[in-house]
Amino acid sequence: MAEAHKIESILVADCGTVLTKLSLVERVANSYRFVAQANSQTTATEPWNDLSIGVIKAVQELEAITGRHLYSRGRIVVPRRGLEGVDAFVVISSAVAPLRVVLAGLVREMSLESGRRAATGTYATIESTLSRESNGREEEQVRSPQEVWARTVRDLNPDVVLLVGGVDGGARRPVLELAEAVALGASMLGEEQRPAVLYAGNADLRPYVTKLLGDITHVVIADNVHPTTDTEHLGPTQLALEEFYIEERMQRAPGIDVLSDWSRLPFVPVANAFSRVVDFLWHREGNRDRGALGVDVGAATTTMAVTFSGRPYVTVYEHGVANGITDWVEKHGLARMARWIPEELEPEALEAMIHNLELQRYTVPQTTRELWVQLAIVREMLRSVRRSAQPTWDVGDASMGHLTLMPRIDPILISGGGLVHTPRPGQALLTVLDGLEPVGISTVLLDVNRAATAVGAIAGIKPLLAASALEAGSLVSLGTVICPVGKGRPGDVTMRIRILYGNGGELNVEAHYGEIETWPLLVGERATLEIRPTRRFDIGMGPGEGGKVEVLGGLLGLVVDARGRPLLLPENEDARRRLLTRWLWDVGG
Amino acid sequence: MFIPYTVANPLLTVRIPRLLPQRGQVLVRAGDSVAPSQIVAQAVRPADFRIVEVAQELDLSARNTPSCLKVERGQAIQEGEVLAARGGLTSRVCYSPLTGTVIGVGRGRLLLEAQAEVIRLAALVPGYVVESRDGSGVVVETVGALIQAFWGNGREGYGVLRMLVRDPRHPIRASHINASAQGTVLIGGSTVDEESIAQAIELQVRGMIVGSVLPSMIPRLRKTRFPVIATEGIGNLPMSMALFELLRSLDGREAAVSARIGDRWQPMRPYAVVPMPTHAAPKLNPDLPLKAGDRVRILGGEYRARSGTVSRLLEGLIQVETGARLPGIEIAFSESERVQVPQTNIERLL
Repeated sequence: MAEAHKIESILVADCGTVLTKLSLVERVANSYRFVAQANSQTTATEPWNDLSIGVIKAVQELEAITGRHLYSRGRIVVPRRGLEGVDAFVVISSAVAPLRVVLAGLVREMSLESGRRAATGTYATIESTLSRESNGREEEQVRSPQEVWARTVRDLNPDVVLLVGGVDGGARRPVLELAEAVALGASMLGEEQRPAVLYAGNADLRPYVTKLLGDITHVVIADNVHPTTDTEHLGPTQLALEEFYIEERMQRAPGIDVLSDWSRLPFVPVANAFSRVVDFLWHREGNRDRGALGVDVGAATTTMAVTFSGRPYVTVYEHGVANGITDWVEKHGLARMARWIPEELEPEALEAMIHNLELQRYTVPQTTRELWVQLAIVREMLRSVRRSAQPTWDVGDASMGHLTLMPRIDPILISGGGLVHTPRPGQALLTVLDGLEPVGISTVLLDVNRAATAVGAIAGIKPLLAASALEAGSLVSLGTVICPVGKGRPGDVTMRIRILYGNGGELNVEAHYGEIETWPLLVGERATLEIRPTRRFDIGMGPGEGGKVEVLGGLLGLVVDARGRPLLLPENEDARRRLLTRWLWDVGG
Repeated sequence: MFIPYTVANPLLTVRIPRLLPQRGQVLVRAGDSVAPSQIVAQAVRPADFRIVEVAQELDLSARNTPSCLKVERGQAIQEGEVLAARGGLTSRVCYSPLTGTVIGVGRGRLLLEAQAEVIRLAALVPGYVVESRDGSGVVVETVGALIQAFWGNGREGYGVLRMLVRDPRHPIRASHINASAQGTVLIGGSTVDEESIAQAIELQVRGMIVGSVLPSMIPRLRKTRFPVIATEGIGNLPMSMALFELLRSLDGREAAVSARIGDRWQPMRPYAVVPMPTHAAPKLNPDLPLKAGDRVRILGGEYRARSGTVSRLLEGLIQVETGARLPGIEIAFSESERVQVPQTNIERLL
């Protein structure tokens, strides 16, 4: 790799579960721009078992598009030699299976919940939970708890056992009982197969846990996830799990050794790269009373990254729009998806379509029915990831005062194949409004070229280049949305807005409860809004409080979503379908 | 642009990975010739185990327990055998809950392990081992026809192919399955119903190949012991004509069917292989660019599951029902029937 200050061209390989996306970023005049992109099938599984094959195919397509030579003598040319090669090559990946974790702890609502939240910070799946509190399994009736726990560890053979429990200075015996069972289960596996143990429980027990398990397997100690009854401390455990993921999964991915030979830069999980972009957006906006949020709806996972008061948070939800979606439906029920479909669809037909999305994950919706199903899945993924993520945030000044409400967020970045390829921008925006239920005033940005993660990868090497590439049009604004909180009757006036356009034009409008309304404000155009909410509605400035704000236009202009929070759908199926259809029309979907 | 593919080919060199569900022992070497039923690898499934709280059962302290033990570490034991006993007025006896071995003694407890179960993996197809993967399995190379499917019920087996229907739109009905179906792999057009499955089980059918399965049938099929594969996916879809014609041409030949689909992180394609008595066959090259004359199948929209040949690659974008504008392709189903579909929703048939 060239020295950081000399880097003028970067090739980013983003290896997803379905597609490998290659992006070439280069200096053009005084800024950096995405010059070209190419896709190939990800080749981490049979019959290839080698990630580098997909990367090479995408490089060849990129060479055909750009006319540049990037690959020569069996490797990507780094550093650049004249017009051949690039200055740096970065690999980010979400293609490999997540870390398999068994969570062991004491109280479901305390340490176990904290352990679960810590695990959502990276690509990890909790395969089983060991606790004195019953899981309702049949074997618990005939076996002792230790036997069940040891057996679970042995049979599941996870990558990591995350052992939590006990506040610092608190419970000892129950935690040690769990540790003993984990030791027993691990000792029944071959030495190379034994799971590592990450201990993040009562700090007083660290020497005992290390002594008990240290001879059997690799033990890592992290700060207690629940050090006192009313505090939670997830950071060190999340970091340790992320390191496990990189070591156990990313660095052992088939073909990664070849890519590593070409790159020489550390591999970055896609979720981390995405988080860097959201963090950058927060710092760019500089609003301490608001957070920045990004969602990346992928084929196998959904990532939510937020930054509040300069502190980033990442949540990786273990489902996306394709891989594993039938498992999600089995667990949560088909009705959760069906409620978002604006036309009559037999449950069996819906189920078949969801199965086929999983089996034929490369396809894009071709009929409106296929599109409604895909967007229904996206809505539920957004709602699920939000439910997982929100309890982990310390939102500070961005709070709207109610734990169930979204805090104030601006901007909202949306990314991922499930969202950015919707034929009409209104469909993407409505999906995000239904899925996230934002409140207050937010600009919604669409990662139309799916370049955000590549930008995040670049930010790790040359932050200025990443910032320049992002400013140079990687993101397209869908518009500014205003979502008031409050209750009213359908048709009640929620706010009056005076829109003062940059060219001197002026528009006075009213927004009504139960409606989504849009007014023109072109992409790149700015306007000043004088907003006066009626006394029962709050746009993030307090009930009935308004003021002047400068907003950015977008593909949909200015949008007021006055449907209320939480969003309620009619029980009656016909009424629900009519309402969904009307909302779609309102946003041009 | 990336175009996925499905193999539906009458004669080619096929490489079949045969992998254990967990690490184990490979029993053959690269270059070995194997028969379908030959065991090529095996693994030991973790055995059941029990912790017996001897001290608790005998009402003794852990320190006093060893003198009451009737077994020692490493000793084989039978279910119901006495593990420990204390005499005196309050005599008590502790029995073994399983047949196996004592693998641990201490702290007033015994750790017992049952006899382990061995998982045996057969070659499934006749051929040669071309790759031996240390502890995980082998790759067997054979020559014959290969038909890949989208869904399978997780089972494996082999038998003689028997075409039951005349049209790819026709489902398998119980009335199609008579005594001559014993030991065969049945081929239907569209779907299969509950009654047909029951009939097939009774007549000891060895496998089933259909176009699709209804979602409501999935739990039932997962419990069925013979392999069932669906070439088009889930729903009520006819088998695409290209695959139907190929299977019809193979009627009466012996086939191996694998209905394993892996998991979400290691997906596998279910398949049927029909070995042929020849050694020379071409290898596939899925990397060639798509061109006129290539066989393709449609995976979305109103023509889903129909197969045809590429007439031409369209230069501009085509608009689909959703309003999206996508790179298009023209496909001929026959001399007179041509349609334009997005390239993203087709796959090549190799």
